[in-house]
Amino acid sequence: MGTPSTAAAEPFDPEGVQWQRVSPRLAAARRTVLVAFWGPMALVALGLAVWLTWWIALAAVAVAALVGWQWWLIGRQVPAWGYAERDDDLLVRHGLLFRSLVVVPYGRLQFVDVEAGPVDRRFGLARVQLHTASTGTDAAIPGLPPAEAARLRDRLAARGEARLAGL
Amino acid sequence: MSTGTGTGDAAVPADVAPAAEAVPAVDAVPAEVAAGLEPGAREVLTDPGWKRLHPVTPVLRAWKIVAVALVVLAQQGLDNLLQARLPGWVLLLVVVGGLAALALVTAVYSAVAWRRTRYRIDADAVHIEQGVLWRQQRRAQLDRLQAVDLVRPLLGRLFGLAELRLEVAGGAGSKISLAYLKEEEAQVVRNALLAAAAGVRFAEGEPVVEAPQRAVVEVPIPRLLLSTLLSGLTIAVVVVAVGCVVTIVLTGEVAPLAGLAPGVLGLAAAFWNRFNHGFGFSVAESPDGLRLKHGLLEQRSQTVPPGRVQALRISQPLLWRRVDWWRVHVNVAGYGGESGEESADCTVVLPVGTRDELARVLAIVLPDLGTGEESPLDVVSSGLTGRGTDGGFTPAPRASRRLDPVSWRRHGFRVTDRAFLARSGRVLRSLDVVPHERTQSLALHQGPLQRRLGLASVALHSTPGPVSPRVDHLAAGVAAALLAEQAVRARAARAAAGPERWMARES
Repeated sequence: MGTPSTAAAEPFDPEGVQWQRVSPRLAAARRTVLVAFWGPMALVALGLAVWLTWWIALAAVAVAALVGWQWWLIGRQVPAWGYAERDDDLLVRHGLLFRSLVVVPYGRLQFVDVEAGPVDRRFGLARVQLHTASTGTDAAIPGLPPAEAARLRDRLAARGEARLAGL
Repeated sequence: MSTGTGTGDAAVPADVAPAAEAVPAVDAVPAEVAAGLEPGAREVLTDPGWKRLHPVTPVLRAWKIVAVALVVLAQQGLDNLLQARLPGWVLLLVVVGGLAALALVTAVYSAVAWRRTRYRIDADAVHIEQGVLWRQQRRAQLDRLQAVDLVRPLLGRLFGLAELRLEVAGGAGSKISLAYLKEEEAQVVRNALLAAAAGVRFAEGEPVVEAPQRAVVEVPIPRLLLSTLLSGLTIAVVVVAVGCVVTIVLTGEVAPLAGLAPGVLGLAAAFWNRFNHGFGFSVAESPDGLRLKHGLLEQRSQTVPPGRVQALRISQPLLWRRVDWWRVHVNVAGYGGESGEESADCTVVLPVGTRDELARVLAIVLPDLGTGEESPLDVVSSGLTGRGTDGGFTPAPRASRRLDPVSWRRHGFRVTDRAFLARSGRVLRSLDVVPHERTQSLALHQGPLQRRLGLASVALHSTPGPVSPRVDHLAAGVAAALLAEQAVRARAARAAAGPERWMARES
């Protein structure tokens, strides 16, 4: 897949970990949001360019460039998301330029959220958010098929219960 | 004073027992405990049924609101009133009448609220019911108790009243506040709560005596004053003062100074806050855990049971370096849910202390650092002032000097059998300590520059609070290994951790 496996990526690839990828539909969903947000602005700028002066079209060009860049970025970022269920903890990895890898022990899970916004639902996606007693735990997996999200939620809940300690 | 903690079902309700029979029970109490107790106070524990707060509560609450109104009036409303061009006596009548009406309304409301508030403590939980329009029933599990604070506000002290706050780790607004109780009663309830939370079961009729405490550190007032003056705030004051002088000399005008007034007031308030909260600070050790007592106007007695400290930070402002003073903050799960200033107030376990005092406080907060042969203080000291590989620390590599030219030699970590130590800061030195079993989750981060230099940062996630342990700019391989090993260590330490009810093993 898209992740480059250069030497610098190695710390984010612990040995013996099978990474699960998120659904490629996440890219489509994010691009939809992107276009839905910037598209009308570009159109307004174009309209004004025709109506008033041509140089307003530059704004439309700038917006188009931004959208193009984001479009490309989303295509690179989505395959960079990954998660792996190990025996005692869950790994979540994301980011290309700014990479992060979060390790959440099952015994530390306080609760698990499954969320889906209108766009997500349209594309058949859901987001799983893990919560520990720390607000610093930034572990969320976007772009899961709802069935997989539900399976993950139940599995995490069951494992969390079996391994629950106090704080 | 006899007790029913742990035997809630068997105790005789006080309102059933004739008053005459209750008297001998009081005689059986050790004199020093009985001396401070009113007959009313003993019912709290002999009666497992519902209790009310002190009847003076509505008056105190009403006064609080009126005081706030007075302040607002003094700051803003007065100008408007004076512009109304009414005769003086009318003005006075309006102000006094308005305040009186406000006082009456809040007093009546508070009285109704007081009527509808009750609490109950049994062996497993604290129950409280409150609310006038929106009723709330809350039950807090005692084995989840994170800390118990006894707060005595200025006005409460006049009436001999205190507020009891029970911190449970449920996020914002999760604390239980019993405001207000008679001071002796509050202490009795606190002792009983801690005993019950510790898992100590008392036989019926046996008094719950306060766990003995041993004073460990007391912060002298002159040192507190001096340390406040030597803090970073002073640097701010000096900068502002120099700026003022320069402005006056250059422009020859004094008018710009008026604009500084809010800033100066803010600084004065910050100084006052430090002094007010740190006043008479004392740290003590008891079987119930860490005991803190401090405060000038509002006195606060905190009890943090063993194992409730999630992480600890030792830090040193620049100007304290010469005198070798240190400050210690902790993360305790319940305190994180408090509002900003409140949280900042209760998470300090040592506002200023020498290295020797630091060692003594550390010995209570984290009794076993797992340093084996080495003395814990040596390890901590090398973390406080060391650089490079001093004291067995794993430092950030030389490549990181390009990202942090000032303090790259200070970035580093050390792992002992029981805790993780993260060292950082050259100008503002600090050392974070996290017991392995308290690690919530871990993260590895790498930005584009770090990636080019082959570096990565590791963060340990702790409960909300002033301490957020992180080691920046480690060699990428070292960071990845640390992440993997620390996950295993945390798991092993959790499995071996003591019970939530910290005395339960002995009984």
